[in-house]
Order: sequence, then C-alpha cells, then structure tokens
Amino acid sequence: MSDPITLGLVALVLLVALIAIRIPIAYSMILVGAGGIMMLSGPALLLSQLKTLAYGQFSVYDLSIVPMFILMGELATVAGLSQALFRGANAWLGWMRGGTAMAAIAGCAGFGAVCGSSLATASTMGKVALPELRKYRYSGALATGSLAAGGVLGILIPPSVVLIVYAVMVEANIVTMFAAALLPGILAVFLFILTIAIYVAIRPEAGPRGGATSREEFLSASIGLLPVIGIFGLVLGGIYLGFFNPTPAAAIGVLLVALYGLLRGSIRWGSMITALKATARSSGMIYLILLGAELMKIFMSRAGLPQTAAAWIADSGMSPMAVMVVILIALILLGCLMDSLSMILLVIPFFWPMLLELNGGLYQISADGAGFGMSTEDLKIWFGILALIVVELGLITPPVGMNVFIISSLAKDVPMIETFKGVLPFFFAELLRVALLLLFPVITLALPRLLASWPT
Amino acid sequence: MFEEERSGRSGLAAVVAVLATGWALLGGLVLLAVVGINALSVAGAALGHPLAGDFEMTEMGIAVAVFAFLPYCQLTDANVTADIFTARASARSVSALRALAALVACGFAAVLLWRMSLGLADHRSYSSITAILQIPVWWAFVPVLVSLVLLIATSVLSFIESLREAVA
Amino acid sequence: QEHVFKLHHFLGAESPAQKDMLEPWAKRVEENSGGKVKIEIYPSMTLGGRPPELVSQVRDGVVDLVWTLNGYTPGLFPRTEVMELPFVFVNDPVAANLALAELYPEHLAEEYKGVEPMFLHTHAGQAIQTVSKEVHSPEDMAGMKLRIPTRTGAWVIEALDAQPVSMPVPDLPLALSKGVVDGALIPWEIIPALKIQDQTQFQIEGADKTRLGTSVFQVSMNKARWDSLPEDVQKAFRDASGHDWLVEVGEIWRKTDDRGIKVAVDSGNTHITLTPEETEAFRAKLEPVVDRWVSEVEPLGIDGAALVATARDLIAKNTGDEGASQ
Ligand code: NA
Ligand code: NA
Repeated sequence: MSDPITLGLVALVLLVALIAIRIPIAYSMILVGAGGIMMLSGPALLLSQLKTLAYGQFSVYDLSIVPMFILMGELATVAGLSQALFRGANAWLGWMRGGTAMAAIAGCAGFGAVCGSSLATASTMGKVALPELRKYRYSGALATGSLAAGGVLGILIPPSVVLIVYAVMVEANIVTMFAAALLPGILAVFLFILTIAIYVAIRPEAGPRGGATSREEFLSASIGLLPVIGIFGLVLGGIYLGFFNPTPAAAIGVLLVALYGLLRGSIRWGSMITALKATARSSGMIYLILLGAELMKIFMSRAGLPQTAAAWIADSGMSPMAVMVVILIALILLGCLMDSLSMILLVIPFFWPMLLELNGGLYQISADGAGFGMSTEDLKIWFGILALIVVELGLITPPVGMNVFIISSLAKDVPMIETFKGVLPFFFAELLRVALLLLFPVITLALPRLLASWPT
Repeated sequence: MFEEERSGRSGLAAVVAVLATGWALLGGLVLLAVVGINALSVAGAALGHPLAGDFEMTEMGIAVAVFAFLPYCQLTDANVTADIFTARASARSVSALRALAALVACGFAAVLLWRMSLGLADHRSYSSITAILQIPVWWAFVPVLVSLVLLIATSVLSFIESLREAVA
Repeated sequence: QEHVFKLHHFLGAESPAQKDMLEPWAKRVEENSGGKVKIEIYPSMTLGGRPPELVSQVRDGVVDLVWTLNGYTPGLFPRTEVMELPFVFVNDPVAANLALAELYPEHLAEEYKGVEPMFLHTHAGQAIQTVSKEVHSPEDMAGMKLRIPTRTGAWVIEALDAQPVSMPVPDLPLALSKGVVDGALIPWEIIPALKIQDQTQFQIEGADKTRLGTSVFQVSMNKARWDSLPEDVQKAFRDASGHDWLVEVGEIWRKTDDRGIKVAVDSGNTHITLTPEETEAFRAKLEPVVDRWVSEVEPLGIDGAALVATARDLIAKNTGDEGASQ
C-alpha cells in the first residue's frame, strides 16, 4: 500500500463510491482525507491538526472576498438587477431573429459581472428571461439551452468564486486573474451570440424575431442598464485602477448593489433575509469543500502522490502541449461527476506542479520558458483561465449538469433532454473557445500585461 | 423570518430549526459588519486615516460567520451532492442515504467540537493574539464552538427526519 | 535510516530559504548522524494548514520540524521580539543570529513551550522601498502608505507618521503599481521573487546598511521528539546548528539580500544610502518604538528595558565576528 499511485487510486475509488451514495462531496473529501491521514500517520496526528486546521482555512484573508461576492450576487438577485439587464439587452438585440435569446446571453454576461456564481446567474436570469422567450415562441431547446449556457458566464466573467480559489491555491494575484478572465469572457459572449445566430439561420422557427421596441421603451430600458454598468465599472474598474484592493472592492460592491435595491424599493427586510440565507447556504457549502480539499491535500502529500505524479508526467516524454490537452480533457470528464469548485480544489494540487515542472520549474522568469514558451506567472494565468472554462463545462454536460437542472426546474414544460440538446451547440462553441485560447495565449495574457504596465 | 424552516416541524425540532436559522442570520450580520469595516477602510484610506486592523478583523469575522452558516447548511440540505448515481433510486432509499450523510456530518461536528475546544485552550494558554489590535485569537473560537454544537443538533435532526421518511 | 523527520515550511521548494539554508542544514545533520537521520522537506505548506499554524503543528507533533516566521504568531514570542526592534537590530544578521543564540538559554527559552529550537535567525533587515518618493529624512515619510511586515514593523511606520497597511505578500506588487501603497518595509531579498524592482523606483537604507528592524525566524523541533532522541542524534543536530552555522546563515541572508538590491540597481532603480547624520535622524525618531515595546511587554512580566540592553550588548559583542569562527 505504500506505492503512492496505488494509494491515490484507492482513495479516488473510495471518494467516488462515497459521492455515489450521495454523501455530500465536502464530507466525502473529509472522510477520505481524514481516513487516509489516519492510515498513513495515525489518528493522534490528525486529531492534533484538527485543533487549528478548520479555523485556519476559514480565516484566509484572500478567500474573504468569496462570501462578499456571493452576498453581492444574492443582493443583485433580490434587487431585480436581472430584470433591468434583460430589458436593456432585449431593447438592443430583441428585434433580430434569435434576438431575445441573444439578449438573455447578454443579460447573463451583465449579471455575471456582479455575481461570482454560475448557478445563481442561471437561475436569476432564467426566471426573468424564460417567460419572455416562451412568449415569443422560442423552441424549448433554444430557450433553455441558451439560458443554461449563459449561466456559465456568471463564472467566466469576473468576479468569479472559482477563480478566486484558484488564485489563492497557486498564489496568483486575484486582480491579475480577474483581468485575464475578461477578454476570454467577452469572447464567450460573442461566440454564444454567434451560435444563436447560426442556430436560427438553420432553424428559423426556433427563434422568431421579437416585437419592435418603441423609442421611449428603448431609451428607458437603456437607461436602466446604467446602474449595472456603474456598479461593475466602480468595483472592477476600481480594482484595476488601484482605488482599492479586491476585498474592500467586494465590500463596496455589496453596498452599491444594496443601495441600488433600496433606491428601487426592491430590497426590503424580507428580501434582505432571503439574500443572507442564500449567502449562508452557498458560503457554508463552499468553505466546507475547502476544508475537505485541504484534508485530501494533506493525505495526498503524506502519500507522496503529487511528487510521484509530477515526476511520472515529466518522464513520460509527452510534449507540454499534449500534457495540457490531456489535463483539460480529464477536467471535462471529471466535470461530469463533480462540481467545478471541488474539482479545482482536488486536481490543481496535482496538475499545477506537473505544468511547472514541464515549464522548467517555479522560477522560470524568462518570457520564452522552456515548456510553454512563457514565464511561470503567465503560465499560472493562462492555465487558470483554461481550467476555469473546462471545469465550468461540467455545468452543461450530462449526466450532472447543474445549470441544465436549474433551467429545467424553471421550464417544467421542456423535457430535460431537450435542454441538453439545446445546450449542445454552446458546448461546441466553448470547445472552439478553448482551442482559440490554447493556440493564442495572448487573448488571455494581453490584459494582465497591459494592467501591469499601465501608468497610474 | 423562520416560517420556512419551521414549517412541518414542532417541539424540539422547531426550536433547533429556529436556532440554526437565527444563528446563520447572526453570522450574516457579522458578514455585513466585515463589509462595513472594509468600506470604512477604503473611505479612511482615501481621507488619510486607514482603519487599523481591518485585515485581521476581516479574517476573524469571515471565519466566525462561515462557521455560523454550517448548521443552516445542514438544516437546509445545502451541501452539494452528486445525484447522478441515485437518480433512479426510490425516495425511501434516498432518505436512507440522507440519514447516513447526516450521521457523517454529526460525527464530523462532534470531532471538530472536541478538537477545537482544545484548540481554544491552546490559543488561550499560549496567549496568541492578532498583530495590530491584539485581539486574543481564542475569542473567535467561542462562537465557532457554538456553531459546532448547533451543527451537531441540526445533523441529529436531519438524521431523525430522514430516517423517519425512509421507514415511513 | 532510523530517524526520519518531516520539516514543514511556508515558502516554495525553490526559494533561497529552502535551497540555500534548509537543504544544506538538513544535509549537514544527515551527514553528522552518519546516515541515521533523514530530513524530508515539505515546502509551501504541503502538509496542510496556513503559515500561522506551523508553530502549533510542530508543538503538537503534526510535523517534526518547522521553519517559520515568529511574526506569524503574535503574542507567542514576545521576548524574542526584542531582536526585531529598530536600532536594536541594526544591520548585521550574523551578529543578530549569534546574539539570539546567547540570549536564548537565559532570556528566551521559556517562551518556546513544547518545541526545541534548533536555531533562531533574522533576515538582513527591513529597508524602505518606495514607488516614487525619494526619502532622506523621517519627515519625507510622513503620510506615506506602507505595507507592514510585523507588528513591530507597524510601530515603526506609525512612529514615522506614515500609515501602516496590511495585505498578503502576493498582493504587494500590484498594490505598489496601483498606488494602494506608496512603498513597503521589506528586505531587499524579496525583490526578485515579487519583481519589486518593476514597481518601485527607490531602495533606501541607512549608513553602513542600517535597517529599520528585522524579522526573526526559527527552525524548531517537537520537544517530545527531541527528548526521545539518543544523544548522538541530538549531537548531530546541535553540531549542525552551532556557532559556525549561525554565522553562515547570517551570510546566506546577507548574500540573498545583496542579490536582491543588485537586481533592483541593474534594472535602473536608485539605491540610496543615507548619510550617518540622516541615519541618526531616523534613530532619534524611532527610539519611541523601543519604549513602546518595553511598555507592551511589561504586563507580561518581562523587563523589556533590561532585555533591550542585553540584546544591544550581545550584538555589539558579536559584530564583526564573521572571521572569528572557531
Ligand atoms: Na462573475
Ligand atoms: Na456535468
């Protein structure tokens, strides 16, 4: 049992078994991690470490923005930000064939700019956009498919919880990661809208034109977009331009969204309670997974698995790019089973050291590093964005596609299989995007570089 | 505030549900306080008087808040599960599995309560404090232990409720 | 091997701290033991937890050895803090290391409960690194926003009428480039890892490399584990951590520090060395920091003033001791 690879495989099987019998993923990780540590080093050691481990994990400063961004997203949900977004986007795009679905995508992107979670984006925008899409007689597949796919933008457009966790794990700068995510996120919006255009070109009946918008409606709907643009601009712009660090920025964001809701009259005592409860659920769940992943990490380190795996890959003679592709495919497959955060937490400790090794070690500072032709810093950013995209694909792939489930529960008249069918074109759009980002790292790296050299 | 969590429960079960919900909302207030501290710190820095210790208050506050959320997560079944393998299972067997998961949560909470009370004792006897405000670290452990007691209570509750559904 | 030790620390596997200090030390212990000892180094907190937990990990036997920064656990090592104070520590990490070793048995030992320190050491000292402000006097620093290194470092910043700002180390480069802070009190040694040279223009230190305080680190073993070791194995550790090693550690940190300032200067930054008169102005301005520390530790039953005097004597005695080994 001392062979690290065997041990790791046994642990993985056990983990899947526990997850399969519906033990929450966090508790499955806690059980396997704790069990593994006890097996390798005895119970006394584990018990000692548990005196401080949980508090240590929960009090990490960099992660403190996670609950704050979650609260910001929940407040945005109860504040009715999604209505304003969809109405504004629809005024601009609704007249086109498939335009209302495009507006749903744009609305998701806008909501993603204040919300760090995919599921919240899918459900919030779904509630607003689904009735409209059905009203204009969009096909069930296109209506639900574009919303399930659009929800993914909640994570792909910064701020993003998964990205924050990744940044903390690999000691990347959160602001840099947010900057890196922006262009690829916009590319996703563009490709999704293009996907809809192609879809309705082939099947015109799936996405009819919406009604023409009156000048007054167009103007008032566009003005309705300004607060969202303002909040997004202040929070992320404020971070990029150096008015404040990410954590205070998240706090400012919470206050601005709350202010928006109060002024609109949509945030009251009851909705505040709703938002706090939802924040409690998401944050508690996320931190429990973090703790589970830490126990798994300790177990794997004590077993010597990351080192062995990294050495194994480094010796395998595979080209760095091939290894990268294999890693991304593994993440897509794993995405069929697990949620994105658990995945990032579970596999990054393995994959990141491998990639570092392939790139010539941690202190690779030359811009044309050995493996990937980039420095460690750039590799960190580039891989982070690629990993983020592929783990999010899991949200729209069967059998467990959380976004699809959420939209299906909102659209009771559309069979889930239709939604999966409707989401398929977007899945291919995402694969195309991954390929583009793989081949042209500059799409990801341009903005962080600009940010670093921007005079202040 | 507590209607949703109380519905269908009575007696001790209702008390546990209300306590866990109220405790999570208190955690939410702590989170709001952290938001306020950070906003003040931005305002202060802009005016030339940065808030001393915002960093450590954020760390402590978030930890206390998140622990306070855990019993509510258990109560409302918020922890993510992969339902793919059990999609075709009967409602009864799912309830039985949920009871098993509640048992795991209960064991986890009990062990952590035991260990973290020793952690509290350690922090006290070694007098560890925060860097700037010199707040004793063990203070933060007190609400955390309350959260763990509530996590035990809610997981016992969901164990009983799930078991009842399983054998019903 | 009969004795395997896990050494846990918070920096990366390729950091100078591991490559130039921990690995050579481990190798020396192993050789001294005639192959009885094996020390496995676990960098980057791979055995779990966050850096502030390292002390409790070694105390509770979760790991056998740690290298950690005392400042991660404020309140645990108040006596040792004396060596962090500005103008107690002046400029010489070798003297500081030797002074710490001499202070230890009588003055510091009681605060290392549950652990057996192998050696204590400092880095080359906090220097002023600014984005765009040229500093020659304490007045030049008034109103500047500076990242704090430790709690005594925060006092230094406050004594200079500047504003202390806390943030995680990885956030520093961008905070500098975006003006969230105007500078930092950190040693030169950190410059290459964070590319501080790109974000700052001025690197400032006192005459004769005088710094504004330092940070203390420890390599410590679990006490029970230590007590259980046979004498020859204990001797292997002690011999590897004696006078010569303390001198060498000081030189290692001096060398990485020199490397850091060279990177900054090579990339076009201005390295300012204050004149003795300017340095004296800083000393006068920072004297209250020492008083503040004395009054902070008084309620703990520590005679801070006497400890400061002893520390200063020992530093004076050991200064220029580099050549005097053996
Ligand atoms: Na987002
Ligand atoms: Na999936």
